[in-house]
Amino acid sequence: MKDIFTHRTLKNGINLFIHSTDKFKTNTFCIFIHQNLKKETATMTALLPFVLKRGTQNFPTSRHISLYLENLYGADMGGDILKRGERQILQFFLETVNPKYIRGKDIMDDSLNVFKELVLNPVLEDGGFKEAYVEQEKDVLKRSIESLYNDKFNYAIERCFQEMCKDEAFSIYKYGNVEDLEKIDKSNLYSYYLECIYKCPMDFFVLGDVDEDDVACRIEKLFDFHRHAEKTVNSTCFKKEITKEKIVEENQDVNQGKLSMGFRTNTRYGDDDYYALMVYNGILGGGPHSKLFQNVREKAGLAYYAFSKLEKNKGLMLIGCGIDFSNFDRAVGIIKEQLEDIKAGKISNYEFDSTVKSIISSLKETADSPSMIISLYLDGIINGVRESTEDMIKKIQSVSKDDVRKVAQKIELDTIFFLNKK
Amino acid sequence: MDAFLGERLYSHKYNNGLTAFVLPKKNFNKVFAMYSTRYGSIDSEFIVPGTGEHLKVPEGIAHFLEHKMFEMEYGNVFDKFAELGASSNAFTNYTNTTYLFSATSFFEQNINLLMEFVETPYFTSESVEKEKGIITQELRMYEDEPEWQVLLNLLRCLYHNHPVRIDIGGTVDSIQKIDVDTLYKCYNTFYHPSNMILFVTGCIEPEKVFNLVEKQEAKKNMGVQPPIKRIYPEEPGFINTSASAIRLDVSEPMFLMGFKDTDVGYDGYELLKKELSIGILMEVLFGKSSEMYERLYEKGLIDDRFSFSYEGQKDYGFCTIGGETREPERLHEEILNSISKSRDKGISEEDFKRVKKKFLGDFIQGFNSVEFIATSFVSYYHKNIDIFDYLKALEDVKLEDVMRRLDSFFDFSRHAVSIVMPK
Repeated sequence: MKDIFTHRTLKNGINLFIHSTDKFKTNTFCIFIHQNLKKETATMTALLPFVLKRGTQNFPTSRHISLYLENLYGADMGGDILKRGERQILQFFLETVNPKYIRGKDIMDDSLNVFKELVLNPVLEDGGFKEAYVEQEKDVLKRSIESLYNDKFNYAIERCFQEMCKDEAFSIYKYGNVEDLEKIDKSNLYSYYLECIYKCPMDFFVLGDVDEDDVACRIEKLFDFHRHAEKTVNSTCFKKEITKEKIVEENQDVNQGKLSMGFRTNTRYGDDDYYALMVYNGILGGGPHSKLFQNVREKAGLAYYAFSKLEKNKGLMLIGCGIDFSNFDRAVGIIKEQLEDIKAGKISNYEFDSTVKSIISSLKETADSPSMIISLYLDGIINGVRESTEDMIKKIQSVSKDDVRKVAQKIELDTIFFLNKK
Repeated sequence: MDAFLGERLYSHKYNNGLTAFVLPKKNFNKVFAMYSTRYGSIDSEFIVPGTGEHLKVPEGIAHFLEHKMFEMEYGNVFDKFAELGASSNAFTNYTNTTYLFSATSFFEQNINLLMEFVETPYFTSESVEKEKGIITQELRMYEDEPEWQVLLNLLRCLYHNHPVRIDIGGTVDSIQKIDVDTLYKCYNTFYHPSNMILFVTGCIEPEKVFNLVEKQEAKKNMGVQPPIKRIYPEEPGFINTSASAIRLDVSEPMFLMGFKDTDVGYDGYELLKKELSIGILMEVLFGKSSEMYERLYEKGLIDDRFSFSYEGQKDYGFCTIGGETREPERLHEEILNSISKSRDKGISEEDFKRVKKKFLGDFIQGFNSVEFIATSFVSYYHKNIDIFDYLKALEDVKLEDVMRRLDSFFDFSRHAVSIVMPK
């Protein structure tokens, strides 16, 4: 395969991936710090980007940072948390306008400098983070975690995965949990931060109109701090015996019922039959041509939305739809029929061909967005798969209906979650 | 047209009144196209061209019509797009209805299909009845979304009569009154090519698009249509009521306040300049670099979810400011105090220049995405604004313009507050 990113390893072990292209109006920089998803550390990891964005040694408040970024033509900078399988990733990003469009002003050093400040130079007091920042951000994070409750669509998805993976790391919410926030203070969070920065695997991505050697040199200079031997990140555990399918109902004062169904596919990214699973998912619920859309929405008129999606790192699949409370049995019945039909190989040419085309098209489309290019590449790194989108397209093209039927036999329903009225 | 951020725009106007635009992006893999009519949820009363009939239609019909357009005599048009490897969609807002697709192959066939289906109404009573079930679920979904409810209630406070106070999708009751006959009347009034725009961007040659549109429009052979007469009720300059509070099953209160803009009645370049002036003003007052943001954040009244925006159309305009907060009343007071203080102090040249730089950068950043380009182009076009004037208008906005808005726009007698409280 032809890698779109060139890869270098800095002296301190940071992986630097660069893709030079003038396709976009901006230059994008991303840092990913990988960590095992564990209850003991998940909330601390989640709190870090919140605390770090409050200020740095040279930009002591968020306001200082914002003023500076606005002067850099509204450069976007921030941090967030990603959850990929049972891996929690601390992400920092910076996006700046290509100097070509602002009369050639070179803002790269200034923007990389503030980026470095954000990640490596936090405001400190008495050997820890600034206490006021930590306490305020604990409160902000607490309310952010709680606000998932207001987003019933995602709440029903998250709750299904939580119930389904009760005793597995995957059940941990990407922003951690409220109970563990209480144990965090400025000192233990700072020690944990140092561990992340010094010991966790770190990937640095650059995508934009840059000279590779030049940008590599600038980054090497700014990020050449001493690091220790890297911790290894465990691979996601993905097999689990299912004894009996669970049904969990929760009651809230809502106007629409939200149905989620969680499955173990027993296949994940990197497996030979992963591409067959992608096609399976597309046929089942990957768009208007899918069985769920056609049957739950178009034929039965039960829902406005009905879809399925994969969690490719852990080999899970989720079906979601919003229905009237009284239609729970009917909807589950229709959905199960669709699952049985694919298992029996009842796949029309239309369903199959449309799915393959739609997957190929979305793979091609990733090349039109900097963040999607990086995200897809990151998935490869996480799962130890090196392939280009062209390789993926070839593999999708070689999937047959029978491959889909075969992969369907491995898929097991684990948990049904229903958000019902009170 | 001159190159703009390295882009060039091509356009062609057809005899029946349709205008097509193409913005090529050679090194992109996809083509993104929008076919859009200047017809939204607020166009609920009008004179049917030709017959002269005065019609008042059920709330939510523009959105209902959007759903039903996907149905053809041969079945569902989603299927045809899927066969061509494209994904299609549509949306309705207060002022327009837009159909779109995104594809990485069969570009010309997809454009043909987009035009063909939007130009072919096909409604049956049976399918209209079934759609009521689907849209009911769509409306129920929004009933559970506090962000949407808090905005709807704010608009009901700000407006007495203007249909912007009504939910785009209508209500579960109002959509029951929709029938085949009224759908056709709305279609025939608002889907004439002269009321529409085709915008295509991505890896495609302008000439190819213009030629195939020519053929498509020749097939239809539609004459010109006289201007559509839209009737909007008289809207007073003052607000309807100053506060709304409801309870929903949420984790903490949600707060949204808004000011009603009474400097309305014009569109085009002047509207763009107004939007930018108010946009810059709000960024200076409430943005992340503002003194207010820092103070309220420190007090725990706001966090990153705090946001603000201005929505300006020819006949109405309003801004929204708010987010999740523990103490909605206190936040309300603090925001009003900040506005008063800024009014006394004025706005510094430094703040003004810096925020302008941010606006410039944000706009350039947007041009990374064909979806952003198409969506902005089309929504501005419907307001008679040329998006390629954006940078010029940004240059044209002076500190005095922003200061003037600070005095006139934030009139406390024209503001209202909407709150969603936990149960």
